[in-house]
Amino acid sequence: MRNKWITITLIVLLIAVVILSAGIGAMKIPPAQVMAVLLNKLGIHLPVIYDEGVENVLLHIRLPRVVMAVLVGAGLAISGVAMQGLFRNPLADPALIGISSGASLSAVLVIVLISSLPALHIDNYLPRYYLLNVITFLGACATSLLVFRISRSGGKTMLVTLLLAGVALNALCRALTDLITTTANDEQLRNATFWSMGSLGGASWNVVLTLLPFVLAPILMLPGLAKSLNAFALGENEAAYLGINVKRLKTKIIILATLAVGASVAVAGIIGFVGLIVPHMVRSVSGNDHRSLLLNSTLLGASLLTLADVFSRTIIAPAELPIGIVTAVLGTPVFVMLLIKQKKQLRTVS
Amino acid sequence: MIISAHNISYRIGQRPILNKLNFDIQPGEVTVVLGQNGAGKSTFLKILSGEAKPTIGQVLLNNIDLHSIPVNKLATMRAVLSQQYAQGLQFNCEEIVMMGRYPYFGGQPGADDHRIVRESMLEMQVDHLQRRNYQALSGGEQQRVQMARVLSQLRGKQSGSKWKNEQQQGLLLLDEPTSSMDCLHQQLALSKAKELANQGYTVVVILHDLNLAAQFADTILLLKQGCIVRAGNVRDVLTSEHLSEAYNMEVDILEPEDYDFPILIPARHKNKPVLLRS
Repeated sequence: MRNKWITITLIVLLIAVVILSAGIGAMKIPPAQVMAVLLNKLGIHLPVIYDEGVENVLLHIRLPRVVMAVLVGAGLAISGVAMQGLFRNPLADPALIGISSGASLSAVLVIVLISSLPALHIDNYLPRYYLLNVITFLGACATSLLVFRISRSGGKTMLVTLLLAGVALNALCRALTDLITTTANDEQLRNATFWSMGSLGGASWNVVLTLLPFVLAPILMLPGLAKSLNAFALGENEAAYLGINVKRLKTKIIILATLAVGASVAVAGIIGFVGLIVPHMVRSVSGNDHRSLLLNSTLLGASLLTLADVFSRTIIAPAELPIGIVTAVLGTPVFVMLLIKQKKQLRTVS
Repeated sequence: MIISAHNISYRIGQRPILNKLNFDIQPGEVTVVLGQNGAGKSTFLKILSGEAKPTIGQVLLNNIDLHSIPVNKLATMRAVLSQQYAQGLQFNCEEIVMMGRYPYFGGQPGADDHRIVRESMLEMQVDHLQRRNYQALSGGEQQRVQMARVLSQLRGKQSGSKWKNEQQQGLLLLDEPTSSMDCLHQQLALSKAKELANQGYTVVVILHDLNLAAQFADTILLLKQGCIVRAGNVRDVLTSEHLSEAYNMEVDILEPEDYDFPILIPARHKNKPVLLRS
């Protein structure tokens, strides 16, 4: 019952955040007008007067960006929960353990390949981006499998090995990504901070469309695995005793979690710490039951990243602060706090 | 549920853990597995649970090969209490016990599941810990919560009254269930196991405490280096001769009046050379 109220609160929060942040920018739009324009699109006419300029800015500039922030935030948060379930550790953030870097490396490779091989050149926007998303997904998948293999021994995840494997993979993937971006001619590639710090600056309805299926799939399908994720927390053997096909569960979690990470890295670069702080905040309020944790984290992640994006595009306007800076400033204290909390476990492992 | 195995062996690499075991485990009995550290007790239990597959031979559950039963079906037939659980379980106790019902419901637990969870928690005297964080409990309390979870899993998909299970009575496997419990709860947990056996369940328990074994076992399997030293009833197996073979330790056996089980104590004066050696 309590969890239901938390979910309702988070839904209301998300709606409020979307309406407010769509109104913030060089041209301020009052919330009433934002609502009027949105509801007008749905065929409900509010008695609020706004001019066409407002509608244009809102529909073509602000909204795609806000929706993109919602999708990226939701996707990163839910894959954070899934990864933490898989590794049985609240520190397993996709960016921290190298999965996002793996995705960005594969994204950069694809862009280089496409621009250097005319045969691969696809003019149409959507198929090109779907291809990019699929490949970054595969890159994310490969890195998570690698980290998973490295960090486990005898059915247990070694925390120290997990974090060190993340450090190593991050270093390697980022070095290779930098190598490619600094030598590339492609305009899109030369923006190195995009890959390392993330940005939602490329938002458009097309980007939203390419992102949508990759984020919706985990949001719709992971809750079906909530019970299994709970049982998995007891241990792999214990989950099997409870009738769960552990091997299949692990495959499903890796695929669903990396879908969202891969696609969001492809369109927004690496945005760290969202998958870490959001589940942590939700857990501290409503516990670790994945039946509520997954949904609540998705909602909070969407709100939080939308707010972070408002911050990043207004604080030094007209320039933009890379959004990764905002999430890192918010996320590092949480990360350190979790590390201190887990010190005992770290000590016993090493 | 009858478990039977003929000539099963289990090796890790070249190292034999269990060697050519033959046994039948009967329903309606508490079978206690005893033996030194590293004698193969936990591996034995893993083989019975289906977690490990014998290198040679097969385990039959009511004459069906254990490994031919799908995991989700097996989960409704047998419950396992492990020695250790993953660290950092951020769940409250009720949520942990409810996991025992996972094999029986799809999305959300039904009224039966809630009732069974409540009853199982009462049985293990952890009902007052319902909303407490599992991680914050003492070792013995955690063991009781896990035991309650295992009991709730064993209750099957029933809607009738307490413990009256129309379907086949299941299999309960307990790996040192009482290792962290106080003496009262040790008695409580093993009495519960005994009660289930009396109702037709098959119960296999690994224990270290010889006196608990003497008190609660119907059958004892005494293991040493992966082989069965002796199998049989309490007085057949718990003799100073067998125990000194299995444990390299002399034990005196007392038969107090008014008790229907023997009391075992280390014969300290005889053990001194052995104890000093280590």
